[in-house]
Amino acid sequence: MKEPSLPFDHRPDPELGAALRAALEPGDPAAFVARVLARAEGRGGHATWEILARWARAGIAAAAAAALVAGFAVGRVMQSPTTLDDVMVASASAGANALLSSPRAPDASVVFTSLVERDR
Amino acid sequence: MRTDPPSQLPGGVARIPQGDEAELAARARAGDRAAFGTLVERFAAQARRVARAVLQNPDDADDAAQDAFLSALVKLDQYDPRRPFGPWLMRIVANAATDRRRRRAVRQTEPLAPELAGGASHPDHDAELRVLGERLRVALAQLPERRRLAVVLFDVEGYSHAEIADILGIPEGTARSEVFHARRALRVLLQDWKEEG
Repeated sequence: MKEPSLPFDHRPDPELGAALRAALEPGDPAAFVARVLARAEGRGGHATWEILARWARAGIAAAAAAALVAGFAVGRVMQSPTTLDDVMVASASAGANALLSSPRAPDASVVFTSLVERDR
Repeated sequence: MRTDPPSQLPGGVARIPQGDEAELAARARAGDRAAFGTLVERFAAQARRVARAVLQNPDDADDAAQDAFLSALVKLDQYDPRRPFGPWLMRIVANAATDRRRRRAVRQTEPLAPELAGGASHPDHDAELRVLGERLRVALAQLPERRRLAVVLFDVEGYSHAEIADILGIPEGTARSEVFHARRALRVLLQDWKEEG
Protein backbone atom coordinates (compact mmCIF):
# COMPACT_ATOMS: atom_id res chain seq x y z
CA MET A 1 0.00 0.00 0.00
CA LYS A 2 1.32 3.40 -0.87
CA GLU A 3 2.15 5.52 2.12
CA PRO A 4 0.30 8.81 2.34
CA SER A 5 2.39 11.80 1.43
CA LEU A 6 2.64 13.99 4.49
CA PRO A 7 3.92 17.56 4.57
CA PHE A 8 6.55 16.79 7.19
CA ASP A 9 8.04 14.25 4.86
CA HIS A 10 9.45 17.00 2.68
CA ARG A 11 11.34 19.00 5.28
CA PRO A 12 13.82 18.05 7.94
CA ASP A 13 12.19 17.48 11.31
CA PRO A 14 14.10 19.82 13.65
CA GLU A 15 13.09 18.00 16.81
CA LEU A 16 13.97 14.55 15.58
CA GLY A 17 17.07 15.88 13.84
CA ALA A 18 18.37 17.54 17.00
CA ALA A 19 17.69 14.43 19.08
CA LEU A 20 19.44 12.20 16.56
CA ARG A 21 22.33 14.59 16.25
CA ALA A 22 22.79 14.57 20.02
CA ALA A 23 22.58 10.78 20.07
CA LEU A 24 25.20 10.40 17.33
CA GLU A 25 27.42 13.30 18.31
CA PRO A 26 31.03 12.17 18.24
CA GLY A 27 33.49 13.23 20.89
CA ASP A 28 36.64 15.33 20.61
CA PRO A 29 36.57 16.63 17.04
CA ALA A 30 40.09 18.04 17.22
CA ALA A 31 41.59 14.66 18.14
CA PHE A 32 39.81 13.00 15.24
CA VAL A 33 40.96 15.60 12.73
CA ALA A 34 44.52 15.33 14.02
CA ARG A 35 44.36 11.55 13.73
CA VAL A 36 43.15 11.65 10.12
CA LEU A 37 45.76 14.20 9.12
CA ALA A 38 48.48 12.19 10.84
CA ARG A 39 47.38 9.11 8.93
CA ALA A 40 47.35 11.10 5.72
CA GLU A 41 50.88 12.16 6.48
CA GLY A 42 51.68 8.49 6.52
CA ARG A 43 52.71 5.58 8.62
CA GLY A 44 56.29 5.09 9.72
CA GLY A 45 57.41 8.47 8.54
CA HIS A 46 56.32 7.92 4.93
CA ALA A 47 53.90 10.61 3.98
CA THR A 48 50.97 9.57 1.80
CA TRP A 49 51.79 12.49 -0.42
CA GLU A 50 55.38 11.33 -0.74
CA ILE A 51 54.25 7.78 -1.45
CA LEU A 52 51.93 9.03 -4.15
CA ALA A 53 54.75 11.13 -5.58
CA ARG A 54 57.08 8.14 -5.41
CA TRP A 55 54.52 6.05 -7.25
CA ALA A 56 54.37 8.76 -9.86
CA ARG A 57 58.17 8.83 -10.15
CA ALA A 58 58.31 5.03 -10.36
CA GLY A 59 55.61 5.12 -13.00
CA ILE A 60 57.54 7.65 -15.04
CA ALA A 61 60.74 5.61 -14.72
CA ALA A 62 58.94 2.42 -15.73
CA ALA A 63 57.34 4.17 -18.69
CA ALA A 64 60.74 5.56 -19.75
CA ALA A 65 62.35 2.10 -19.48
CA ALA A 66 59.50 0.54 -21.46
CA ALA A 67 59.82 3.23 -24.13
CA LEU A 68 63.58 2.59 -24.34
CA VAL A 69 63.10 -1.15 -24.77
CA ALA A 70 60.33 -0.62 -27.30
CA GLY A 71 62.46 1.88 -29.19
CA PHE A 72 65.38 -0.54 -29.31
CA ALA A 73 63.14 -3.34 -30.57
CA VAL A 74 61.57 -1.12 -33.22
CA GLY A 75 65.01 0.12 -34.20
CA ARG A 76 66.22 -3.41 -34.75
CA VAL A 77 63.23 -4.23 -36.91
CA MET A 78 63.66 -1.02 -38.87
CA GLN A 79 67.29 -1.75 -39.62
CA SER A 80 68.12 -2.50 -43.28
CA PRO A 81 67.14 -6.03 -44.29
CA THR A 82 69.64 -8.73 -45.19
CA THR A 83 71.39 -7.51 -48.29
CA LEU A 84 72.32 -9.30 -51.44
CA ASP A 85 75.99 -8.97 -50.49
CA ASP A 86 75.36 -10.83 -47.23
CA VAL A 87 74.16 -13.77 -49.24
CA MET A 88 76.72 -13.52 -52.04
CA VAL A 89 79.65 -13.84 -49.65
CA ALA A 90 78.20 -16.99 -48.20
CA SER A 91 78.23 -20.38 -49.86
CA ALA A 92 75.11 -21.74 -51.51
CA SER A 93 73.95 -23.50 -48.38
CA ALA A 94 75.11 -20.70 -46.16
CA GLY A 95 72.86 -18.33 -48.14
CA ALA A 96 69.82 -20.15 -46.89
CA ASN A 97 71.30 -20.21 -43.39
CA ALA A 98 71.86 -16.51 -43.51
CA LEU A 99 68.23 -16.02 -44.41
CA LEU A 100 66.91 -18.32 -41.72
CA SER A 101 69.18 -17.22 -38.95
CA SER A 102 68.95 -13.51 -39.55
CA PRO A 103 66.69 -11.70 -37.10
CA ARG A 104 66.01 -9.14 -39.77
CA ALA A 105 63.50 -9.46 -42.57
CA PRO A 106 65.08 -10.18 -45.95
CA ASP A 107 64.35 -8.05 -48.95
CA ALA A 108 62.96 -9.50 -52.14
CA SER A 109 66.33 -9.67 -53.89
CA VAL A 110 67.70 -11.95 -51.19
CA VAL A 111 64.80 -14.32 -51.50
CA PHE A 112 65.20 -14.36 -55.25
CA THR A 113 68.94 -15.06 -55.00
CA SER A 114 68.32 -17.87 -52.60
CA LEU A 115 65.89 -19.49 -54.98
CA VAL A 116 68.34 -19.17 -57.88
CA GLU A 117 71.07 -20.82 -55.81
CA ARG A 118 68.77 -23.72 -54.99
CA ASP A 119 67.98 -24.27 -58.69
CA ARG A 120 71.64 -24.42 -59.73
CA MET B 1 7.80 21.10 -5.39
CA ARG B 2 11.29 21.66 -4.17
CA THR B 3 12.16 19.24 -1.43
CA ASP B 4 15.61 20.46 -0.63
CA PRO B 5 15.98 21.26 3.02
CA PRO B 6 17.03 24.74 3.98
CA SER B 7 20.70 25.35 4.51
CA GLN B 8 19.95 26.60 8.01
CA LEU B 9 17.88 24.07 9.85
CA PRO B 10 15.79 25.01 12.85
CA GLY B 11 17.31 24.34 16.22
CA GLY B 12 20.72 25.60 15.21
CA VAL B 13 21.41 22.62 12.98
CA ALA B 14 23.17 24.12 10.00
CA ARG B 15 23.98 22.37 6.83
CA ILE B 16 27.57 22.78 5.75
CA PRO B 17 27.47 25.61 3.22
CA GLN B 18 28.52 24.77 -0.31
CA GLY B 19 30.99 27.02 -1.94
CA ASP B 20 34.70 26.62 -1.88
CA GLU B 21 34.86 22.86 -1.46
CA ALA B 22 35.57 22.30 -5.13
CA GLU B 23 38.50 24.67 -4.88
CA LEU B 24 39.70 23.03 -1.67
CA ALA B 25 39.43 19.62 -3.32
CA ALA B 26 41.41 20.83 -6.33
CA ARG B 27 44.11 22.25 -4.08
CA ALA B 28 44.23 19.07 -1.99
CA ARG B 29 44.54 17.04 -5.17
CA ALA B 30 47.48 19.20 -6.19
CA GLY B 31 49.17 18.36 -2.88
CA ASP B 32 48.00 21.21 -0.66
CA ARG B 33 47.81 19.56 2.76
CA ALA B 34 46.21 22.56 4.39
CA ALA B 35 43.33 22.37 1.91
CA PHE B 36 42.81 18.72 2.73
CA GLY B 37 42.94 19.59 6.42
CA THR B 38 40.22 22.17 5.94
CA LEU B 39 38.00 19.62 4.21
CA VAL B 40 38.57 17.13 7.02
CA GLU B 41 37.77 19.72 9.68
CA ARG B 42 34.67 20.80 7.84
CA PHE B 43 33.23 17.34 7.29
CA ALA B 44 34.64 15.36 10.21
CA ALA B 45 31.61 15.57 12.48
CA GLN B 46 29.21 14.78 9.68
CA ALA B 47 31.28 11.83 8.46
CA ARG B 48 31.53 10.43 11.99
CA ARG B 49 27.79 10.70 12.58
CA VAL B 50 26.96 9.06 9.27
CA ALA B 51 29.44 6.26 9.95
CA ARG B 52 27.99 5.81 13.42
CA ALA B 53 24.52 5.48 11.96
CA VAL B 54 25.83 2.37 10.20
CA LEU B 55 28.19 0.96 12.80
CA GLN B 56 26.73 2.08 16.13
CA ASN B 57 30.03 1.63 17.91
CA PRO B 58 31.78 5.04 18.02
CA ASP B 59 35.29 3.61 17.68
CA ASP B 60 34.34 1.56 14.63
CA ALA B 61 32.58 4.60 13.24
CA ASP B 62 35.67 6.77 13.67
CA ASP B 63 37.82 4.13 11.99
CA ALA B 64 35.41 4.02 9.07
CA ALA B 65 35.26 7.81 8.83
CA GLN B 66 39.04 7.94 8.83
CA ASP B 67 39.21 5.28 6.11
CA ALA B 68 36.75 7.33 4.11
CA PHE B 69 38.80 10.53 4.33
CA LEU B 70 41.97 8.72 3.29
CA SER B 71 40.11 7.00 0.48
CA ALA B 72 38.67 10.34 -0.63
CA LEU B 73 42.16 11.82 -0.69
CA VAL B 74 43.33 9.13 -3.07
CA LYS B 75 40.16 9.42 -5.19
CA LEU B 76 40.07 13.20 -5.43
CA ASP B 77 40.73 12.99 -9.15
CA GLN B 78 37.34 11.28 -9.48
CA TYR B 79 35.47 14.13 -7.83
CA ASP B 80 33.47 16.28 -10.24
CA PRO B 81 33.99 19.87 -9.06
CA ARG B 82 30.73 20.96 -10.69
CA ARG B 83 28.84 18.96 -8.07
CA PRO B 84 28.70 19.50 -4.31
CA PHE B 85 31.47 17.87 -2.36
CA GLY B 86 29.37 16.71 0.60
CA PRO B 87 27.29 14.04 -1.14
CA TRP B 88 30.39 12.72 -2.92
CA LEU B 89 32.23 12.38 0.37
CA MET B 90 29.23 10.95 2.22
CA ARG B 91 28.93 8.25 -0.39
CA ILE B 92 32.49 7.23 0.37
CA VAL B 93 31.77 7.39 4.10
CA ALA B 94 28.65 5.24 3.79
CA ASN B 95 30.53 2.70 1.69
CA ALA B 96 33.48 2.64 4.09
CA ALA B 97 31.16 2.09 7.04
CA THR B 98 29.22 -0.64 5.25
CA ASP B 99 32.44 -2.35 4.17
CA ARG B 100 33.77 -2.26 7.71
CA ARG B 101 30.55 -3.71 9.08
CA ARG B 102 30.71 -6.53 6.57
CA ARG B 103 34.41 -7.24 7.02
CA ARG B 104 34.42 -7.86 10.68
CA ALA B 105 32.13 -8.68 13.52
CA VAL B 106 31.14 -5.30 14.72
CA ARG B 107 31.13 -4.84 18.42
CA GLN B 108 27.54 -4.90 19.48
CA THR B 109 25.86 -1.97 21.08
CA GLU B 110 25.83 -2.39 24.82
CA PRO B 111 22.50 -3.72 26.02
CA LEU B 112 20.22 -1.03 27.26
CA ALA B 113 20.64 -0.53 30.97
CA PRO B 114 17.46 -1.16 32.94
CA GLU B 115 17.22 2.46 34.00
CA LEU B 116 17.36 3.47 30.34
CA ALA B 117 14.79 1.00 29.14
CA GLY B 118 11.90 3.30 29.85
CA GLY B 119 9.78 4.35 32.76
CA ALA B 120 12.75 5.54 34.74
CA SER B 121 12.66 8.80 36.61
CA HIS B 122 14.80 11.60 35.10
CA PRO B 123 16.84 13.23 37.85
CA ASP B 124 18.14 16.02 35.67
CA HIS B 125 18.11 17.30 32.16
CA ASP B 126 21.50 15.87 31.16
CA ALA B 127 20.50 12.46 32.39
CA GLU B 128 17.27 12.75 30.43
CA LEU B 129 19.16 13.58 27.28
CA ARG B 130 21.51 10.67 27.86
CA VAL B 131 18.54 8.37 28.24
CA LEU B 132 16.96 9.72 25.08
CA GLY B 133 20.22 9.45 23.18
CA GLU B 134 20.73 5.85 24.21
CA ARG B 135 17.19 4.91 23.36
CA LEU B 136 17.45 6.63 19.99
CA ARG B 137 20.67 4.79 19.21
CA VAL B 138 19.05 1.49 20.11
CA ALA B 139 15.98 2.32 18.03
CA LEU B 140 18.17 3.43 15.16
CA ALA B 141 20.12 0.18 15.33
CA GLN B 142 16.91 -1.76 14.88
CA LEU B 143 16.18 -0.08 11.56
CA PRO B 144 17.57 -1.44 8.30
CA GLU B 145 20.93 0.12 7.50
CA ARG B 146 19.75 2.08 4.47
CA ARG B 147 16.86 3.51 6.47
CA ARG B 148 19.19 4.62 9.25
CA LEU B 149 21.45 6.35 6.80
CA ALA B 150 18.56 8.00 5.00
CA VAL B 151 17.02 9.54 8.11
CA VAL B 152 20.36 10.74 9.46
CA LEU B 153 21.35 12.25 6.13
CA PHE B 154 17.97 14.00 5.83
CA ASP B 155 17.07 15.12 9.34
CA VAL B 156 20.53 15.54 10.86
CA GLU B 157 22.75 16.50 7.94
CA GLY B 158 20.17 18.31 5.84
CA TYR B 159 20.67 16.53 2.53
CA SER B 160 17.81 16.48 0.04
CA HIS B 161 16.06 13.31 -1.05
CA ALA B 162 17.81 13.58 -4.42
CA GLU B 163 21.21 13.87 -2.77
CA ILE B 164 20.46 10.94 -0.46
CA ALA B 165 19.45 8.91 -3.47
CA ASP B 166 22.78 9.77 -5.06
CA ILE B 167 24.73 8.94 -1.90
CA LEU B 168 23.00 5.61 -1.36
CA GLY B 169 22.72 4.70 -5.04
CA ILE B 170 18.96 4.30 -4.92
CA PRO B 171 16.02 5.98 -6.70
CA GLU B 172 14.83 9.24 -5.18
CA GLY B 173 11.41 7.77 -4.41
CA THR B 174 13.08 5.00 -2.44
CA ALA B 175 15.13 7.52 -0.49
CA ARG B 176 11.96 9.43 0.33
CA SER B 177 10.26 6.23 1.46
CA GLU B 178 13.21 5.22 3.64
CA VAL B 179 13.20 8.59 5.39
CA PHE B 180 9.46 8.37 5.92
CA HIS B 181 9.55 4.90 7.50
CA ALA B 182 12.54 5.68 9.68
CA ARG B 183 10.92 8.84 10.99
CA ARG B 184 7.70 7.06 11.76
CA ALA B 185 9.55 4.54 13.94
CA LEU B 186 11.73 7.11 15.65
CA ARG B 187 8.92 9.59 16.27
CA VAL B 188 7.01 6.98 18.22
CA LEU B 189 9.99 6.58 20.50
CA LEU B 190 10.43 10.33 20.81
CA GLN B 191 6.75 10.79 21.64
CA ASP B 192 6.85 8.06 24.30
CA TRP B 193 9.86 9.70 25.88
CA LYS B 194 8.12 13.06 26.00
CA GLU B 195 5.04 11.55 27.57
CA GLU B 196 7.18 9.79 30.15
CA GLY B 197 8.84 13.08 30.99
